[in-house]
Amino acid sequence: MKRSMHRVLWMVVLICFSAGCKKQLDINRDPNNPAIDAATPQGLFPAGVLSTASAAGGELAILGVLWSEYCTESAYASQYRNLDSYNATGSDLTSNYAELYSGALNDYQLILQKSQASQDWNFYLLATVMKAYTYELLVDLYDNVPYSQALQGENNLQPMFDSGYSVYEGLITELDTALNKNFGAATNSLPGNTDYVFGGDISQWIAFANTLKLKMFLRMVNAKPDEAAKRITDLYNSGAVFLTADAAVSEFTATPGKQNPFYAYNIFSLNVTTNLRASETLVSWLQYNEDPRIVSYFGSASAIGINQGDFQNTTDPSYSSAATFVQEPTDPVQFISAPESFFLQAEARERYFAGDGAQDLYNQGVEASFNFWQLDGSSFVAAGGAYEYPVAGTLDQKIEAIITQKWASLPGSHALEAWFERTRTGYPKSSPVYSTDPSYIPGQFVVAKNTVIGNNYPKRLVYPDLERSTNKNTPAQVPVTVPVWWGK
Amino acid sequence: MFMVMLLSWFAAKSQTKEVTGKVVNDKGEIVPFSTVRVKNSRVAVSANADGIFSIPAASGQTLIVTATNYSPAEMAVKNGGDLTIVLRLKDAFLNEVVVTALGQTKSKAKVGYSTSSFNNDVINKASPASMMDGLQGKIAGADISSVSGTPGGSTKVVLRGYGVIGGGDNQPLYVIDGVPLSDASFTVAGAGGNGPALSDYGNGMTDVNPNDIESITVLKGTAGSSLYGSQAKNGVILITTKKGRAGTPKIDFASSFNVSVVGKLPTAQKEFGQGWGGTFILSENGSWGPRLNGKEQAWGAIVNNTQLIKPFSYQDVRDFFDRGTETNNSIGISGGNDKTNYYFSYGNILSNGILPGSSDKLQRNNFSLRTNSTFNNFSISTSFNYINRNLTTPAKFGLSPYGNDIYTQLWQNPVDIPIRDFMAYNNIYFNVDNFFSPYSENPYYILNENGSEQQSDRFYGKLDMSYKFTPEISAQFRLGGDFTSSATHIWNAVNAPSPGSWEAGGNVEGQFRRPDIGSDQEQSDRFSIVNGDFILKYTKQLNPDFSLDVIAGANYYQQQQTNITTAIQGLSIPFFYNLSNSNNPPTSSNFLIEKKAIGVYAQAVAGYKDMLFLTVNARNDWSSTLPINDNSFFYPGASLSWIASQSFDLSHTAISLLKFRAAYGKTGADALPYQVYQTLTQGNISYLNTPAGLLYGSLTFPFNGVNGFTVSKNIANPNLKPIITKESELGVEMRLFKGRVGIDAAVYDKETDGQIFTVPVAPSSGYNGLIENIGVVSNKGVEITFDATPVQTNHFTWKIIYTFAKNQNDVVSLTHGLDKVILQTDGLSGGIEYDAIPGKPIGSFLSPYPLMSPDGKIVVDPNTSFPVEAPQKVDIGTSQRDFIMGLVNTFTYKNLQLGFTLDYRKGGMMYSGTADQVLFTGYGYATTYNDRKPFIIPNSVNQVVDANGKTEYVENKTYVNGPNVTNYYYTNNDKPLAYPMRLIDKSFIKLREITLSYTLPSSWASKIRSSNLMLTAYGRNFILWTPKSNMYVDPEVSNLGNDLTSEFGEYGGGVGPTTMQFGLSLKANF
Repeated sequence: MKRSMHRVLWMVVLICFSAGCKKQLDINRDPNNPAIDAATPQGLFPAGVLSTASAAGGELAILGVLWSEYCTESAYASQYRNLDSYNATGSDLTSNYAELYSGALNDYQLILQKSQASQDWNFYLLATVMKAYTYELLVDLYDNVPYSQALQGENNLQPMFDSGYSVYEGLITELDTALNKNFGAATNSLPGNTDYVFGGDISQWIAFANTLKLKMFLRMVNAKPDEAAKRITDLYNSGAVFLTADAAVSEFTATPGKQNPFYAYNIFSLNVTTNLRASETLVSWLQYNEDPRIVSYFGSASAIGINQGDFQNTTDPSYSSAATFVQEPTDPVQFISAPESFFLQAEARERYFAGDGAQDLYNQGVEASFNFWQLDGSSFVAAGGAYEYPVAGTLDQKIEAIITQKWASLPGSHALEAWFERTRTGYPKSSPVYSTDPSYIPGQFVVAKNTVIGNNYPKRLVYPDLERSTNKNTPAQVPVTVPVWWGK
Repeated sequence: MFMVMLLSWFAAKSQTKEVTGKVVNDKGEIVPFSTVRVKNSRVAVSANADGIFSIPAASGQTLIVTATNYSPAEMAVKNGGDLTIVLRLKDAFLNEVVVTALGQTKSKAKVGYSTSSFNNDVINKASPASMMDGLQGKIAGADISSVSGTPGGSTKVVLRGYGVIGGGDNQPLYVIDGVPLSDASFTVAGAGGNGPALSDYGNGMTDVNPNDIESITVLKGTAGSSLYGSQAKNGVILITTKKGRAGTPKIDFASSFNVSVVGKLPTAQKEFGQGWGGTFILSENGSWGPRLNGKEQAWGAIVNNTQLIKPFSYQDVRDFFDRGTETNNSIGISGGNDKTNYYFSYGNILSNGILPGSSDKLQRNNFSLRTNSTFNNFSISTSFNYINRNLTTPAKFGLSPYGNDIYTQLWQNPVDIPIRDFMAYNNIYFNVDNFFSPYSENPYYILNENGSEQQSDRFYGKLDMSYKFTPEISAQFRLGGDFTSSATHIWNAVNAPSPGSWEAGGNVEGQFRRPDIGSDQEQSDRFSIVNGDFILKYTKQLNPDFSLDVIAGANYYQQQQTNITTAIQGLSIPFFYNLSNSNNPPTSSNFLIEKKAIGVYAQAVAGYKDMLFLTVNARNDWSSTLPINDNSFFYPGASLSWIASQSFDLSHTAISLLKFRAAYGKTGADALPYQVYQTLTQGNISYLNTPAGLLYGSLTFPFNGVNGFTVSKNIANPNLKPIITKESELGVEMRLFKGRVGIDAAVYDKETDGQIFTVPVAPSSGYNGLIENIGVVSNKGVEITFDATPVQTNHFTWKIIYTFAKNQNDVVSLTHGLDKVILQTDGLSGGIEYDAIPGKPIGSFLSPYPLMSPDGKIVVDPNTSFPVEAPQKVDIGTSQRDFIMGLVNTFTYKNLQLGFTLDYRKGGMMYSGTADQVLFTGYGYATTYNDRKPFIIPNSVNQVVDANGKTEYVENKTYVNGPNVTNYYYTNNDKPLAYPMRLIDKSFIKLREITLSYTLPSSWASKIRSSNLMLTAYGRNFILWTPKSNMYVDPEVSNLGNDLTSEFGEYGGGVGPTTMQFGLSLKANF
C-alpha cells in the first residue's frame, strides 16, 4: 500500500512538472499594468511632464506664494501655518520630493535610454531639458542632492549626494550633449500632442534649453562669478535663441483630475477655500504703484492684505475681509515664463554686455506680464512711468528693477522662482521694520510675524525625512537659514 | 515500552490454561482491541477487532481489562465458559472527536497539537451576527476583536501573534466543512485607489450564519495546519456546519432581538465653549472659546439680521446617536433515513446601527441546504449556501475630496452647541448656506444626503464523494467553491453655499466653505475560489498494538478577483445619481487578480495501543505568484501525542487524564500576485496626505486626449522566495478530580522567515519601494486554559473557564542592512511611524520627541515657547500586548443559567486619530490642562551657547500663553509634545457577554411539542474599562483593515464607535 501511495504521489508530481502544469501557473504577468518593455518615449513623456508640473506647480507653489510674500495664511485657518512661520521640517513637502525622483526623473531617465537606443534625438532633447529643469529645482530647494548615483533602482538604493554645484555642471553638460544632436535625423519621431509644452516644436525646446542654461548660469553670479560671465558670453556668442513665450503646461481644465495642481490643492481639496490671503507686502507695493494686476491677483484694486505671517491675530477686524488669492482651475503651470525669460536676458545684457538691449528686454518683460492678464503695461515702462527702467542707475539699481519686476510677475503656480531669485539677489529688499510700522516701505520683505527662525528668512528646505530614513548617505541637516550654494 | 511487551510475552509463555472472553460496553456494543492483563502478573494480551480475547490464566486470578475511553474493569477467572466483560465509558473527554486538517475527524487523543473546539451553544450564547464574536475571550492565544461598531463590520482574529510584516496576511484560514472560505472584503479604496478602506463592509467570514454552525475548532499552530498549504500559515479555523440526522424531521429555531447604544466616546471637556485661542468666534469649529457661563447668548449664522439664542452651557454629543436594533432569526429543518439525510436552514438578520435614520443598516439572508447519502461503499455529501447581503453605511471622505466624514464632524461641534438641533438640516439656520461653521458640515446633511450601499450575492458550497474500496482503503474527491459578486454604490450630493451667504465668506472670519460638486461611484466586484482535493486514505490495525492511518492527496486552488469601478464627479442635475449625470467624462478603472496553486501532500498517523500517536506530514506546493522557474516549496511536519494516563495506572491519583503533546511543523506561503515582473502604470499622480486618503490635488490620464504611463514606483522582484514559518510546540492536557478540573497548556516557538514586503527605498533611487523577502519575525508564547467545576450539586453547578496567553514577538532580523521598515504612519506629513525594528517587537511607535538636556529636562525654544524637537524620533512603545486573559463563569441552578465572559487585554499602545481631532478642536478633556491658563512647560530649560561656543542650559521662563495654549496640543506647532499625546495605552477589560437563560421544563415545552425551549436575556460589551490615559476610543476599533496595520490604531474619521448591546433570544427544538 505504501508503495502505491508513493506511486500516486509521484504521478501527481510528474504531472505538475510537465509543461501543461507549468503553463497553468504562468499567469503572474500583471494584466492590469503594461510590462516595462512596452515603454516608449511617447508614452512616458506626458507622465513625466505632468509629474514635474504637479510638484513644481502644486504644493511647492504654495510654499512659493508664502515665501515670496504674495500671500499669507488666513488668521482663521491653520493649513499652512508651519510654512508661513518658516517651520518647514523634514516631514513637510516630502511627497513632492518623492514624486520628482520616482515619478518625473525616473521617467525622463528611461526616455533617455530608449531614445538614445533608437536615435530619436527629438525626445532625447525633450527628456534632457525636463530632467535638467527638474534636477535644478531640487538643487535650488535642497542644495546637495543625489545625481550621479541616482535613478539606478536596485543597483544603488542609497545614492551618494552630489554638491549642488556639481549637479549644475552635470546638467549643463547633459543639455549641451542633447543640443548637439542631429534634429534632422530620419530616426527622429515627432512628439506632436504628447508634448504638452510646445506641441512638438523642437525649435522652442532648443530655446527652452538655452533659457534654462542662462538661468543656471545667472544663478552662479555669487558663487562662481567668473564662470557665469564666461559661460553667458559664450552662450550669446554661439547665437543662442531664448524663449519669447511661456514654457508651460496650459491644458488644465475645470474637470477634476485635470485641474491646475495649485488650484486642485488649495481650492478644490480643502474644506475652506480661503486659506491663502493677500500679503500686505505685495498688496502695498501694487497699490503704491497703482498696478492693475492687483485685480488679477486679488480680485480688487482696494484689496486688503494681512501682514506677512500674522496668522494668530484674530483681533484685527480687517483680517476677516482680507482678499483671497484668485485662482482658476485653468491656470497654467509655467516652467519658465515669457516675462522671466526677458528678465533673465535683461540681467545678462546688463551684467555682461554693458546693458546693450537690457532696457528693451526689461520693458518686454514687464509688458509680457501685463499682457498675460490682458492688461497694457506700456505706460508703466514709458518715460515717467512707475516702472521706468533706471537707465541712469547703478548696476545694482538696474538689477533691483529687473528682479523686482520679475517678482511682481510671478504670483501663481511658478511663485517659487521669485523666492529663489530673492535668495540669489536680495531683491525685493528686506524691510528694517514690520509692515505695520508707519515707516514701512511698500513692497519690502518682512520677516513673518510668527517666525520660528528669529529675524531671518528661509533660504532652503531641509532634507526630507523620507530620504533620510532610507538613505544613510543623506548629509546632516542644514538649517533653513543657510543658503544653497548659489545663494546670498 | 517495548520491554514491557517482551516481558508479557515471556510471562504468557509460562502459562498453560487459556481463558477466553469478550469485551463489550454498557450498551452491549463490542469494544475492540482492549488490553487484558492478569492482575499481579506480567501477562497481557489484546482483544481482537471483535472484542474477543484469549489469555493464559489460572482460576482465581483476576483479569484487568483496559481500553481507550473506558474505565478499567476487573473480573475473576472462573472455570469453564467464556467471560463477558463490560466496560463503562470513562471520561467524556477521551471520546471527544475533533475536526482536523482536511476535515478529517480524529479522536482528540491522537492530536499532537493545540486545538480548541466550541459548539453551537457557546458560539450563539449572545446571538452575535458574526460567528467569531461569540468566541471573544474564550480561546487562549486568539485575539478576536470587532474593529467597528457598524452593523456588518469586520472581525479581526489573530492566532499566536503577528508573523507576517507585509501583504496584510495575518488572518487565519477559514475552512467550512473541509473547503476554504474566502475572507475577502470588497472595500472601497481611498481616493486615487491608494488609500485604505473608507468604509467597513465587513470581511467574508462575517457572512456565515452563526446559528448554522455545529462547532468551530481552532488550530492555532502551523503543525496542525500544514496540510492546508500556504494559506494556513496563520492557523486555521475549522467550521463544521449542522447536518441532518436520520429520524423524524427536526426543527431548530432561534430568534433574537437586541438594542444597541453607543459605547465609548471621547471624554469631553465641559468648561469652555465655542471659539479659538480663547476668543468667542461665531463661526469657529473649536471649543477653544471662553468659559461656559450658562447665560443665554446668540449663536450661529446671522440670517436676515437675526440669530438664534441658547444658553452657553455644555451639551452632550451623545444625543446625536440613536438606539440601534437588530433582529436575528434562524430556522433549521433536518431529517432523513439511514441512507440519506438532509439539513435545510434559513436565517436573516436585520440590523440598524446607532446612527440616526437608516444610514447604517445591514440586511442579510442566509440559505443553506446540505445532504449526506451513503450507498454501500459510496457516499456523497453536498452543501449549498447562498447569502444575500445589503449593507448601507454613511459616506466617508468621498472618492474625491467631497463630503465629510460623519464622525469627524462630531468633534468639530463646539461643546455648547446642541447637535440635535441640526437634525432639521434644511432649516434656514442649519442649511448649506447658514450652517454655523465653514470648517465643518451639518452631520445630518451628510447622513441623509451622502451614502454608500453594497449589495452582494454569495454562493459557497461543495460536492464531496468518497468510495471505500476495502475497509482499509478509500478515496475521496472534494470540490469546493466560493463565489461572491457585489455591487457598491457611493454617492455624494451637490451643494454650494449661495453667494454672499454665511458659509460663502459672509461669516465673521470671511472664510468660504468649499462647494461640494457631487459624485457618483459604481463599483462591481467578483471574487471566486475553486478548491479541489483528491485524497486517498488507508487505515489499518496492523496488529493488536499498532495502528496506521495514511492519507495522501493532491490539491488544486484557484482564486480570482475582478473589479470595475466607474465614477463621475460634478453632477449636472443635483440629487440624481447616474453615471450619465455629469459634464465631466466618467473615470473608470478595472483590475483582475488571479492566482493558482497546486499542492501534493501526505500524512501518516501511527498509533500504539491508543496511548502513543505519531503523525508525520509533508506538503509541496507550486504557486503561480512565485517566479515561474522557482515556484516550488516543500514543508514537512510531525507531531506526537502521548496519553500517559493510558501507559501508567493513575487510578489511585486524582489524575484521570494526562496527555503530552509535541509538534514541529513548517508552513510555506507564496507571495501576492504580480510582484515578480516590472511594469509601467498609468501616469496618474496623487498626493495623499492622510491615511484616510484625503487627496491634495491629483492629475489623471488621459490628459488633454493623451495617455501617459510611468515606470512603476515599486521595484519588482524576479527572485522572490516563499515565506517559510517554522513552529515547535509542546503541550500538556490534564484532567483532575473526576474531570472537574482541567488544564491545557502549550508553549510554542514560531519563526517566520522570508517576509515579503514592499520596503520603502530612497526616492532618489528612482523608486519608492522594493518588493523583497526582508527578514525574520519570531513569536514565542504560552497559552493556558484552565477549567473547573468548583460547585456541583443536584441543582446547582458553577463552572469556570479561564484562559491566558502571552506572546512575545520579535523582529529577529531584516535584510539589506535595513534598520527599520515603516509599516504605517499617521499621514505623509505626519510624525508618528509604526515600524518593524530588529530586536524589537513588530510595531514600534516612533514619535517626534522633545530634545532633552543631559540632566533629562525638556529643552524649550524661547522663540516658540515649545520644546525643540529631538533630531531623532523616539521609540515610545509597541502595539504588542503584554498578555490577554479571559474568564468565563457559568452558574446553573435548576433550569436557570447565568453566564458571563470577561476579556482582559493588557498592554500595548495605539495611535488615536480621534485624540488628534479632539485635541485640535479643544473638545477633549485633556485640553483643560492648567485650566487653559498660561503655563511654563514643567521641568524645562533653554539652550544657550556662550561666547566660547559651549552649550549651556538655563531655566526656561517662557510661558506658553495666548494662542499657544491652543497650539500646545497641535502637531503643527508643538510636534515634540503633541505627537506623543496621540499615542495611548490600549489595555482594556470588557464584559464581553452576560447571559441569563431559562430552559422551560420539558413538561411545558412538550405542550407545544418542543423538546427544548430556552429563553435568554443577554448583553454584549456593556462594561468597558480602559486606563485613564485613554480618554478617546474603544481600543479595539480601527479603520485600517483587520491585519497588522490595524494595530497602528484608528484614524479618527471613518470608523464608528463600538456599541453596547442588550437583547433577548429564544431557542427551540421541535
